[in-house]
Amino acid sequence: MSVLRAAVDEVVGLFVGDWIQTFVSVGILGLGWLALSRLHILGLAFVLCIALAVQLVLATAAEARRTRKI
Amino acid sequence: MYAQLLTFGAAFLGSAVESVEALTIVLAVGLTRGWRAPLYGTLAALVLLGVLVTVFGQLIVTRVPELTLKLIIGTLLVLFGLRWLHKAVLRSAGVVAMHDEERAYAQTVTSLQGDTTGRRDWIGFTLALKGVFLEGLEVVFIVIAVGGTSGGLHIAVAGGLLAMIMVAAAGYIVKRPLARVPENTLKYAVGVILTSIGTFWAAEGMGAAWPLDFVSIGVLAALYFVASRAAIMVIRRPVAA
Repeated sequence: MSVLRAAVDEVVGLFVGDWIQTFVSVGILGLGWLALSRLHILGLAFVLCIALAVQLVLATAAEARRTRKI
Repeated sequence: MYAQLLTFGAAFLGSAVESVEALTIVLAVGLTRGWRAPLYGTLAALVLLGVLVTVFGQLIVTRVPELTLKLIIGTLLVLFGLRWLHKAVLRSAGVVAMHDEERAYAQTVTSLQGDTTGRRDWIGFTLALKGVFLEGLEVVFIVIAVGGTSGGLHIAVAGGLLAMIMVAAAGYIVKRPLARVPENTLKYAVGVILTSIGTFWAAEGMGAAWPLDFVSIGVLAALYFVASRAAIMVIRRPVAA
């Protein structure tokens, strides 16, 4: 049973480290879906990558600040 | 050719990192309590992981429409890759301690001390089964995600298996944890690759087209790499008092 529970935790943990970061990433992807499915402009998808990259910088910097405060 | 190389490389590197971690657990159990139980545990875990790859791999490839598959797997790959990248950035910036196989080995050995080994060593069996299965789940996801979506499941399986065999052979020869494998750097690289592939497929699933098709993944990887270096610089910058 503990193996099963650990496996479920592991599966969730594959995609979620920090719930806020996960929600923000999913939000960016959702907005990307809205935009990309309507506007068929070549290269527009790079904006999606830039948004996710900026999110990475902000999320890691925020976690570093939190960790240092503890 | 480029896509196949990328599929093989991502599966190989991802599997190599996780196999090194699984090997540490099996070695710690085997060298402390004897080899029979941990080897059976490892074998049982590998069979379970093989079943997962076969069932889910086939299900995904044959049942899910291509665009839906790209959107779902791409999104999951982005979340998975960003998690690895996030951790790699914090480790590179010195916020989180680097993963150390020697320390992980010592911790496992310490946790096993005091337990007596019976005729059937269930503790050794369970520890190896749990360790290999849980580390292997990440490999299963990487293999199915990069292989299933690109139509190269067999290439991804080959990459994953080759890395696993190479790590097991190295462990058999040195009989110590593979502490010299640059695990943190590998995880950083795999994080960049998987996030890039995930973004590429997720966007295709949303209906976008990429200039130069697969070559765009290289541009995406460069963007994520630059962002991760920027994050490390921002974190390392001294805070004004």
